Amino acid sequence: MLDESIQELASRSFARIAAAASPEALEAVRVDAVGRKGALAEISKGMGKLSPEERKRIGQVLNAAKQQLEAALDARKQEFDEAALRARLDAEWVDLTLPAPGPRRGHLHPITRIQRELEDLFVSLGFTVLDGPEVETEYYNFDALNIPPDHPARDMQDTFWLDGGNLLRTHTSPVQVRGMERLGPPLRMIAPGRVFRNESVDASHEHTFYQLEGMMIDRDVSVAHLLYFMKTLLTAIFQRDVTVRLRPGYFPFVEPGFELDIQCLICGGPGCPVCKHSGWVELLPCGLVNPNVLRISGIDPEEWGGFAFGLGLTRLVMMRYGIDDIRHLQGGDLRFLEQF
Amino acid sequence: MKFSYNWIREMIPGLTEAAGPLERLITMKTAECEGIEETGALLAEACAARVESVEPIPGSHNVKAIVDAGALGMKTVVCGAPNCRPGLLTAYVPLDKKVVHGIESDGMLASGAELGINRDHDGIVELGTLEGCAPDAAIEIDNKSITHRPDLWGHHGMAREVAAILGLELTDPANLELLPQGPAAIKIQIEDLDLCPRYSALVFENVTVQPSPLWLQYRLTAIGLNPINNIVDMTNFVMAELAQPMHAFDADLLHGDTIFIRPAKPGEPFRALNGEDYTLDPSNLAIADSAGAIALAGVIGGGDSAIGAKTTRVVLESANFQASSVRKTSSAIKLRTDASMRFEKAQDPVNTVRGLARAVELLREISPGIRLVGGLADQMREMAAPPAIELSLEWLERKLGRATEPAQVRRILESLAFGVTEVQPGVFSVTVPSWRATKDVASKDDLVEEVGRMLGYDSITPRAPLVPAAVPPGNPARRFQHDVRNLFVDNGFTEVYNYSFLSEESVRAFGFDPAEHIRVTNPIASNQELMRASLLPGIWKNVTGNAKHRESFRLFEIGLEIHRREQGLPEEIPHLVAALYSRHEGGIFELKRVAECLLPGARTVPAEARGYEHPARAAAVHWKGAVAGRLFELHPRFVETGRAAVLDLDLRLVESLSGDRTKYRPIRRYPSSAFDLSVIAPLREHAGQLEAAIASFAGPLMEAIQFVRQYAGPPLVEGTKSVSFRLTVGSPERTLSSDEITAIRTTIILRMRDLGYELRV
Ligand SMILES: [Zn+2]
Repeated sequence: MLDESIQELASRSFARIAAAASPEALEAVRVDAVGRKGALAEISKGMGKLSPEERKRIGQVLNAAKQQLEAALDARKQEFDEAALRARLDAEWVDLTLPAPGPRRGHLHPITRIQRELEDLFVSLGFTVLDGPEVETEYYNFDALNIPPDHPARDMQDTFWLDGGNLLRTHTSPVQVRGMERLGPPLRMIAPGRVFRNESVDASHEHTFYQLEGMMIDRDVSVAHLLYFMKTLLTAIFQRDVTVRLRPGYFPFVEPGFELDIQCLICGGPGCPVCKHSGWVELLPCGLVNPNVLRISGIDPEEWGGFAFGLGLTRLVMMRYGIDDIRHLQGGDLRFLEQF
Repeated sequence: MKFSYNWIREMIPGLTEAAGPLERLITMKTAECEGIEETGALLAEACAARVESVEPIPGSHNVKAIVDAGALGMKTVVCGAPNCRPGLLTAYVPLDKKVVHGIESDGMLASGAELGINRDHDGIVELGTLEGCAPDAAIEIDNKSITHRPDLWGHHGMAREVAAILGLELTDPANLELLPQGPAAIKIQIEDLDLCPRYSALVFENVTVQPSPLWLQYRLTAIGLNPINNIVDMTNFVMAELAQPMHAFDADLLHGDTIFIRPAKPGEPFRALNGEDYTLDPSNLAIADSAGAIALAGVIGGGDSAIGAKTTRVVLESANFQASSVRKTSSAIKLRTDASMRFEKAQDPVNTVRGLARAVELLREISPGIRLVGGLADQMREMAAPPAIELSLEWLERKLGRATEPAQVRRILESLAFGVTEVQPGVFSVTVPSWRATKDVASKDDLVEEVGRMLGYDSITPRAPLVPAAVPPGNPARRFQHDVRNLFVDNGFTEVYNYSFLSEESVRAFGFDPAEHIRVTNPIASNQELMRASLLPGIWKNVTGNAKHRESFRLFEIGLEIHRREQGLPEEIPHLVAALYSRHEGGIFELKRVAECLLPGARTVPAEARGYEHPARAAAVHWKGAVAGRLFELHPRFVETGRAAVLDLDLRLVESLSGDRTKYRPIRRYPSSAFDLSVIAPLREHAGQLEAAIASFAGPLMEAIQFVRQYAGPPLVEGTKSVSFRLTVGSPERTLSSDEITAIRTTIILRMRDLGYELRV
C-alpha cells in the first residue's frame, strides 16, 4: 500500500521535474515532493502504524526514493544554471575592436630620447653625468678653457651677453672645468645640455641647441685611448661598425686638437651628396685636454692627462631621425613631436 | 683664406701633386680645406694678340676685328668692346666659333674679368704680356682652423707645411740683402714697445702709380682680393705671401720727419681710407705724424695720406702690433680688415723687414725707375729667443699612444724649421722658429701635436685604457627628472622644448615685471631679449599653436627658470609645466590625478588667482609641508577656443622632498571598522577643509578618511550641500568595540556642531 504510494509519487515527481520550465517551477516540485511538508514527509507520517520490520523496510524505500528525486532535482537545477550562465555570457558580448577610453601614451622629445641613450651608454662605461648652469661666467666659458679675453678664438662662438656681465654658455665645455674642480682626478664625466650661439636661425642653424661634452682624466690618457672611446661610442650610437679618422683641429682647450670624421654612413666611402663627395662626415671636435686647462683647474699636467670631446646632440638627433629642419625641435608642434 | 695653388708651387719647385690631392693632404695634416675653386680656366688657351684692323658692322655696336694671334695666325672676330682698336695688344681665346651678323667670328677677345685676371668687365684686356697668367686653383682654408697659426695667413707659411708634408725643398721669396744700408730718411718713435714691438719703414721716390701688371692683378684676384694700383697691390701681395700686413703713405702728404706710434688722444679725430670718420680714444693705438693720426695701428690707413695718382714719394710701413690691442680696436670700431685679422693672430716681429725686402724687389719691377731714399728705419723691442722646449720620446708615446723613432721626430720637426738637439738618448731640446713662437708653440704638448699630425693620426691604433672599475657618482636630480618625464609621458603628455628667451610683450601678458628678468644685451631679435623666469609663456604658446589643429591634447616641458640674483650667477630652478587642453570640457581634475601620482598625498589648497589664472579655478599645490607649485586653468582670456588646465611645479623642491623613505609596518592583525558621515555645508565650502576638520577630531584610532560623494538638492536647504566621508578606524592591538566606535563618531559629530556644521545621521 505504502510502496505503491511511494512509487506513484516518485514517477509523478520525475515527470514534473522533467517538465519544469523554470528554476522556480523546479523549486515548487522540490517543495511538493521532498520538502519538509512535502509528499514524502506526508507518507512517512503513516509509518508509525507499521511493524518494526516493515517500518525499517519502508524507511529504506523512502530514503531511496528521496535520494533519487533529489539527484534528479539537482541535475535539473544544474541544467538551468548552465543555461542561465550561457545566456548571461552571450548577453555580455562586447566589441573589442572599439578603442580603449582615456589618453594614449605621450611622447618624449627626440633630444631627450637620444640624450638618455647616451647617458646610459656612458654610465655603463663608468662615466658620471654632470650638470652646469646655462648662464655662465666669462671665466668658465672662456678664460678657464684657455681662451683669454681678446683671443681671436672667441670669434669662433658668437656669444649672447647678459646684463650684469654674464653670458649664455656657448658650449658645454665649462662643465669640464666645474667637474674637475668639484671631483678632481681621476674623472670620467659627460655633460649634456643646452647651449646658445648668437646665430640667425634657418633650417640648419639654431641659436639654441644641445651638446654632450665628455671628458676623461687619468694617469695616462693618450690619443689611442681617445680613438678607442670614440669608436666604441659611435659604434653604439649608430649601431654598426664605424670607421673614424682624426685630423688637426684647433680648439684652445685641447692640445693636440682634432676634428673627428666618420666614414660616410650613406655611401660608405666612395662619396655622395651627404658627404659632399669626400667619403667622410665631420662629426665632433675632440683632443687631449690642454695642460693649461688642467693647471687652471688645479690638476698637475705632469701627473695627469685626459681627453675631451664635444658631441653635437642636436645634430646627432637630426641625423638619426632624418630631420631636415632644426627649427622643429623647439617649435612645440605636436604633429612633429608625436612622431617620436 | 684662399690660397693660390700656383703661388704655392712657385715656392716649392719640386711640387708635382695637383691641387685636389694637395687639398686632402693639407686637411689631414695642417688645416681644414673647404673646397677648391678653379680660376682662370680660359688662360689655358689664351694668347696675346694684336688688333690689326677694325671695321664697323652696320646696325650693330659690335665691330669686326682682324687680329694677329701669333702662332694661331690671323683671326676674324666680332667684338663688342668699346676699346677694341687697331694696334691694341689684347688676349685672344680660340673658343666660341659662331656666325654673328653674318660674319664668321673665330674665337673671342676677352676681358680681364672673363680671364679671371681682375674684375674689369668694361672692355677687352689691354696687355703688356700674359706671362705669369695660367689656370689656377684657389684652395679655401677654414679661417677657424688657422686661428692659432699666424704664419698660415700667408702663402709662404702654407708652402712650408706642404713642403714638410711632402718632404720637398722650400724657397724663400724674401731676400734681406735687398734692404738698403745707411741712415734712414724718416724717424720712428714708438711710445709703448708692448703695443708696438717693432716698426720698420722705407722711403721711396720717383714712384709711378699705375695699374699693376696682369700677373700681379691675377694673383690677387685669384685669392679674392681687389686690384687697385701697383703700390697698394704690392702691399696686399706681400701680406698674402708673407702674412706681413703693410701700408703705404704718400710721403708728401705727411707732416714732419717722424712717425709716432702712440695711444690716440681722447677724442682724436681720424678719417680712414674707407671714407669713414672715427673718434679715437687712448685704448686705440695710432700711427701719427706731427699733425695727427695717419693710421689706426694694424687696422686701417688714413684717407688724408693715401696713395693717389699724383703720388711720387712713398713711406712704406711694415710693423708689428700687439694682437689683443689690434683686436680690441677693431672690435670697438666694428671694422675687420685683412690686416687686423692677421695681427690679432699675433704676428712675428722678425717678419717686418722680410716684408720690406720683398717689397723692394717687387717695386723695382712694377714701378720702373723707383728709387730708395736712405736706409732702413727700424725700431724694435729687444727680441729674446724663445726658450728651448724639452721633449722626450717617452712623453710623446704617453700622449700619442704609439712609439716613434728618434730620427722620425727629428726629421718632422726640422722640416717645420724647429731646431732639434738630442741632449740625452730619447730627449730632445727643441727651439721654436720665430713665426711659431708668438703664441702658437710654447710647450711640449704643442710639439706632440706637430709630430702627431705629420706622422698622421691614422698611424695610431685605438686602445682601451686600463682604468679601475668604479661606480660613477650618481646624478639624482637628473634621474628624478627622467622619472617625471616617464610619468607624464605614460599619462599621455608629450614633451616639448621651448626657447629660454621671451619677449617683453609675453612677459607683460602674464603680469610679470620685465625689470626682474635678466636681459640679453645682444639679442637675436627684439622679441627674444629676456631670459625666461617662468615656463608658462612658452607653454601658452604651445597650447594656442596646437589648439589650431587639435581638439584636445596634453603636453609638458621640463626646463630651467632663470631668476636674477643680487650678485653672481642667477638662480636656475628646474620646473615642470604640464598642460591639458580640451576644446570642450576642462581637464583640471585629470591633471590633479596625474600630479598626485608624482606627489602622493598632495593637497590642492585654494589660493588667490593670479592674473593669468581662472579666478575660480586656481590652487596652490601643497606637499609634505611645502608649496610645490600651482594647479589652475588658464584664464579664458588666454585660451579662447577651449580650456587649458596647467600644472606648474618646482622640481628642485619636489626632488628634495622625494626619495624612497619606505619603512615596512606589519599588516594589522585586527579588523578595522568603517562608517560614513555626511556634513551639511554651504555650497562653496571646500570638501578638503571639511575632511581636514573631521580628521582632526577623529583621534589616534582613525586609519583613513575618504571622500565618498557630495549632493545638493531636495530635501537639503537651498544653498547647502551634503558631503559624505568614509572613516576607517582600528587598532593594532585589538578589535575595537562598538562602544569605542560610537564614541569616536559622537565626538566628531559634537565637535563639528561646535564649528557650526550639522551632520546627516
Ligand atoms: Zn657619402
